[in-house]
Amino acid sequence: MTPVASVAAVDGPAGPNVHATLNRPNMVQVGTIVWLSSELMFFAGLFAMYFTIRAVQPDLWATEPLKLDIPFSTANTINLVLSSVWCQMGVFAAERFQPSALGTWWAPWTREHGFRNWGMREWYLLTYVAGAIFICGQVFEYANLISEGLTLSSSGYGSVFYLTTGFHGLHVTGGLIAFLLIIGRSFAAKRFGHAEATSAIVTSYYWHFVDVVWIGLFFVIYVIK
Amino acid sequence: MKIESGIFIGGTPLFLAFAIAYGLVTGWDEPVGVACLFLTAGLSIMIGAYLAFTARHIDARPEDNAYGEIAEGAGELGEFAPHSWWPLAISFSAAIVFAGAAIGFWLVAIGAVLMGLALVGWVFEFYRGEHAH
Repeated sequence: MTPVASVAAVDGPAGPNVHATLNRPNMVQVGTIVWLSSELMFFAGLFAMYFTIRAVQPDLWATEPLKLDIPFSTANTINLVLSSVWCQMGVFAAERFQPSALGTWWAPWTREHGFRNWGMREWYLLTYVAGAIFICGQVFEYANLISEGLTLSSSGYGSVFYLTTGFHGLHVTGGLIAFLLIIGRSFAAKRFGHAEATSAIVTSYYWHFVDVVWIGLFFVIYVIK
Repeated sequence: MKIESGIFIGGTPLFLAFAIAYGLVTGWDEPVGVACLFLTAGLSIMIGAYLAFTARHIDARPEDNAYGEIAEGAGELGEFAPHSWWPLAISFSAAIVFAGAAIGFWLVAIGAVLMGLALVGWVFEFYRGEHAH
């Protein structure tokens, strides 16, 4: 069997052909975008379902959305949007092939060990924590809504609420698993090179996409109701 | 890459026009078509904008040159697995998970464990052994 692609692809910044892949689009990245565009159509189906139930049972929307805790979900939304910023900082680190912090990661208030020295691993861990807080918040929100009598089977509103936000929550959970694998890879790699940077970047595409979908869902479900 | 991004971006005004026309014809009473057509415009702008963004960051490819030669396309294509059994392991465990949804949820738990093993095996395949990097 022939070895994986060629040496240049797996070499880090010190490799002889660092920009060899720059003369053509990265297949993994283009493929991820095409797949995410199909994910957009998956969520289009969920939006269509939401608006259809709303059109045929408008009276439910007069009472049921009052059970939602708007300040709580707004805070959780801000947390998720900020996690995209942390994720992008991790991408910038991955693009300079820096897997981990240059100094001690836990002293961000100092100049020499500050955020500027953070590598992909630290930023992605922060993104993971923010995403995990989002999921915990969603579980907490579901528990409160169920105690107020809004369940998957209580009404058409309950069904579409849990299906749309639940499928989004499953996507966020999948993203959290992906972050763990990417962080794990940064420990396993002898040298953090193009392959590691590419998988970190496409995971960030997925994360940004899921974040944008949540902004759409939040606007539809919590703002315009 | 102008042609590729043009094909996808070109779809966006088209699908927007379809969405608006569909809404007007149905009196905006039928939300499925409206939601899906507007998001189809989103699908095309997403791919098109990404290709346009990528085109600005790379040099012109041989495909972009009317006089390009096939040999000019030689070089790095990306990173590929020489062979791998892990996708098969992942698909079998996914099948067990879905069979569990029909048979009983105890089977989902078994499938999920196998899925976790297969996923980790696949992701870390080239970090040990002969092809480790």
